[in-house]
Amino acid sequence: MKYYSLRYILPVILIMILFSSISCTPQACQEETHSLIKATFYINGTNIVKAPDSLTVYGLGRDTARIYNKSLSIKIAQIPLDASTGTCGYVFRLNGITDTLTFSYSTYPHLVSKECGFTYYHILDSYTVTGRAIDTIIIRNKNITTINEENIRIFY
Amino acid sequence: MRRISAYFINLLIVAWTFSANAQDSIIVMPMKIRIGADVYGPVSYFINKNTLSIEGYFSIDIDTQKAVVAETGYLDFRYSQYNYNYQTKGTFIRLGVDFNLIHPEKAMGKYYAGIGLRYGLSIFRSDVPFFEQSNYWGSVTGSIPPSTHVAHFIEASPGIRTEIFRNFSMGWVIRLRILIYSGTGKDNKAVSIPGYGNGVKSFNPGINYYLIWSIPYKSQKVK
Repeated sequence: MKYYSLRYILPVILIMILFSSISCTPQACQEETHSLIKATFYINGTNIVKAPDSLTVYGLGRDTARIYNKSLSIKIAQIPLDASTGTCGYVFRLNGITDTLTFSYSTYPHLVSKECGFTYYHILDSYTVTGRAIDTIIIRNKNITTINEENIRIFY
Repeated sequence: MRRISAYFINLLIVAWTFSANAQDSIIVMPMKIRIGADVYGPVSYFINKNTLSIEGYFSIDIDTQKAVVAETGYLDFRYSQYNYNYQTKGTFIRLGVDFNLIHPEKAMGKYYAGIGLRYGLSIFRSDVPFFEQSNYWGSVTGSIPPSTHVAHFIEASPGIRTEIFRNFSMGWVIRLRILIYSGTGKDNKAVSIPGYGNGVKSFNPGINYYLIWSIPYKSQKVK
């Protein structure tokens, strides 16, 4: 009886400890957790993607915290939205010309993974643009998620 | 996982060998009703007080190599990390069949090395009391109120069981589960589904270790 007990119980205890230690070990967050508007820059009237010579982007009223600051070779700008409000404004300075761009959107929570927790996804409703640098904006995909796909096209 | 799979393949080969070497003699094999409980969940609870999993097992032999199985259980799961808290409570039931790959002459109702197939149904209530997300605009906190969900899954469960005392068995089962329907939608998936595991993943492995009491209810002749 003792022989049987040790023979079967010991491996099981080892397996249990192994599995428990694996399941209790916190895993690192590997996934993307930021939902960003992916905005591609096009030459006005064409389908040619072209980075502005210089790009500066920051939130309205947040000119000390720049998302892009005189950045070069940015063909796709990644723009964060404010999940605490439904409207968000940005200053866009393309090749030295300043525009103001405002997005309206709705927000909802999304579980990325057990390790990463929650993020906010958005649905883009509309935009307004003032200034001379940006000619047209086309919304290609109104779902703003962590997936790397084009959301809007900016023609300048 | 690869090593576990390799181990199982070896076991199945051994079981097949047992089966192939069986001789053509008539023996009488006891058919049994089995009632058991998982000890892995309660043992894990002593290591991790945030997860209480209780699970029971019931089966009836329908012939010398097959048994219909019902497993039911309860999960109380709490998870917390720097950017969110999550909790879920619920019950589940798994129904299916166990196929013993050991020849009845060798198994004699005492030994099992085989595979089970199950359909699982889980009813649970979950909520997110707190979560936080930070970006360029600062930190935003939120919560998701409690809601009830029903999930469906299937599983293959290879395992081993042996009788260590008269009518008293011990054995373990590896669970290989596939989620059919989470019941939660694609945005607020369950961090843990009772009886299944991580609801974000469409495939979930697991393990149970059972103590089982067997009750012979009839005998069957085996060639």
